Amino acid sequence: MRLERASTDHAQRFLEGRFRGALEHAPDGTTVLRLPLGALDRAAVLLADEGARFISVFVAAAPERSLVAAFAFRGQIAALRAPLTEDAAAYPALSLHLPAARLAERELHDREGLTPLGHPELTPALRPDADALEQRIVGDETFVIPYGPIRSGIFEAIQHVVETGGEDVLALETRPYFKHRGLEARFGGLEPVQGAVLAERIAGIASVAHAAAFSQAVEAALRIDPPEQAALWRTVHAELERLANHLDVATKLAEDAALSVAVARFGILKEDTMRVRARLCGSRFGRGVVVPGGIATTQLLDPAELRDWLGRFEHDLVRDRRLLLRTSSFTDRLIGSGRLDRTTVETLGGVGPVARAVGISTDARFERPYGAYERLGFDVVTAENGDAMARLDVRFGEIRESLHLIRQALDRLQRIGETTRLRMDLPAGEGGGFGWVEAPQGELVYWVELADGRIRRVHVSSPSLHNWPLFVASFRGDVLTDFSFIEHSFGLTAAGADR
Amino acid sequence: MLEWIARGLRKGVVTSRYPRGAEPELDGFHGRVEIVETDGARDELEALCPTGAISVSGGLVSLDRGRCILCGACVEAEPERFRFSPAYETASRRRAGVVVGASVERQLEAVRLPLGEQARPLRRSIHIRHVDAGSDGAEEWEISALTNPYYDMQRLGLYFTLSPRHADVLLVTGGVTRSMEKPLERAYEVMPEPKAVVAAGTDACSGGFAATTGEIAGGVDRVLPVDVYVPGSPPSPIALLHGLLLAAGVVTEDGR
Repeated sequence: MRLERASTDHAQRFLEGRFRGALEHAPDGTTVLRLPLGALDRAAVLLADEGARFISVFVAAAPERSLVAAFAFRGQIAALRAPLTEDAAAYPALSLHLPAARLAERELHDREGLTPLGHPELTPALRPDADALEQRIVGDETFVIPYGPIRSGIFEAIQHVVETGGEDVLALETRPYFKHRGLEARFGGLEPVQGAVLAERIAGIASVAHAAAFSQAVEAALRIDPPEQAALWRTVHAELERLANHLDVATKLAEDAALSVAVARFGILKEDTMRVRARLCGSRFGRGVVVPGGIATTQLLDPAELRDWLGRFEHDLVRDRRLLLRTSSFTDRLIGSGRLDRTTVETLGGVGPVARAVGISTDARFERPYGAYERLGFDVVTAENGDAMARLDVRFGEIRESLHLIRQALDRLQRIGETTRLRMDLPAGEGGGFGWVEAPQGELVYWVELADGRIRRVHVSSPSLHNWPLFVASFRGDVLTDFSFIEHSFGLTAAGADR
Repeated sequence: MLEWIARGLRKGVVTSRYPRGAEPELDGFHGRVEIVETDGARDELEALCPTGAISVSGGLVSLDRGRCILCGACVEAEPERFRFSPAYETASRRRAGVVVGASVERQLEAVRLPLGEQARPLRRSIHIRHVDAGSDGAEEWEISALTNPYYDMQRLGLYFTLSPRHADVLLVTGGVTRSMEKPLERAYEVMPEPKAVVAAGTDACSGGFAATTGEIAGGVDRVLPVDVYVPGSPPSPIALLHGLLLAAGVVTEDGR
């Protein structure tokens, strides 16, 4: 589907009209509004009513200690900034009106000791206890099954508490943060280039996305633009990462359906992708490529060789995909499973393939184009049904678009010819900036503050954290045996959410 | 179903011959960091490493691969002294065994016998239970890659099992977060003897970048006795395979 990009002027006019005198600063697609703390919730509701999607709420130190609520609004990031006084200990909760803010506000309460007044479920989030299980549905024949934190298979640690009468999933609670490693605080005092290394290790399977979002936030704070070639190489690595992630989902779903040849075939396609990434930059996860100011690596693989590989890969993929989607023992398990509707996804602020599978055409690459994406053509793939099948269809469509994007980026690189400079020196500077990318899991946003050439503060809004509540909401009439299909169709990462 | 079988056969055999034959090394792959030159090191070298893997003592440099996250900061700053190598047989049965360079104090570490020497049949059939104790998620991908046709670890008698009660090896990723400490200990307790613990990845060896945040124990060996350390951020599938075979006693460290 081709879409019209919303006019950013329009967003700014609206904000100026509604928040007279509050408009503070509006660089590079970000609008900051300064408000008193007590007015934050009303302003947030006003924005949400106009269709703004909640991104995150966090404490920033620049330009002064403030509570910041960030929204995606008409092709911009709209940030509401409320200065915090020394003794500020509470503020009116956003999640009273915006369910999408629930986890972010619980986290804020744990991290900063700020109480969101009126929060509907203000319990500690960051260091969950695997044994603290609560049974909500009480009856003679209902019982609680804790799935996790040690999972059945090679999966990341997370706990799903299922209440069941035997087959139906009567209630589900998903508890993230078992892998909370305190990484946001670890950024403080690091040099920007080390920050990119740390960002890569927040969610390993989305290393490139994290390094890019972090680096773009640094670049926004320092008001620099990396060279065109660096932006194109970032696109190549980011789209290869998307291929690997979507193939991982396909492999896991085939495994759930016990299709052993399909598992082997898609496992080979994924491994081939990881190997070509290693041949390109030395790391199977594209690590060490993206740095603030550009890219760091020397290219090990000739673009022409990569293009040949893409051809062979697509030839195999098309046949495996066709066969997989014709295998009814597979598709039967996905069709109708874990169905979401558009309203639920909008209410909970869903992002990525999960949102696109209910027909919401949200994609950071398109809404707020960054790097080279403004100059490259691609379609935002959507589906309508909102079930596990729709999510897989979206992923397969995105694989096709990623291949298209990589080829376009390589064409442009070839046209530019010999490498001049892939990395800019970072100027000295202070201040904060937002950076965002469309990670394989959905929109990923970084807020980075710099002072004296070092990182002062970082906040990460992870797509997985936004989408876990949607996973819970998707269980309607589904049974226990659908569980792994539904979970894997979401393709989320616990490490990214937990940080 | 027949179509799937035909599709599977068309590809032919892609499986690695490791450990019977060497796995071809990929030029330029960041498998691990080697020290090219140990002498004449300035003390400032230590500051190059964000995770404290480099130590300098009396002008001699050593590198703790159990702390190295392969970021390449040292390789970039001192290319005459450090370089990336595609080598993958990096795992060791002792923590000090993953430290390279100048004269590291070789403390005597109590080391359990490999599983294959404790119980002969275990050389041919090892069941592995994976536990994520706070990884970044990349290790899980590399571990699950071991079952794809390229590595096909079942050919070596290595199998993943779902219950720790059936497991011989506990394959742990991550530096052990507070929330995972108790579940991890419990998984270890219910395993039958003899058992082995493999710390997979730099985070599991030392905590990596998160070691100083106060949110993690700082390595699996702070919680459980570790039999094999597999450094890497993340270790490649073939490096993990080497670590598992070391725990099983199928390969030995000096048999390289």
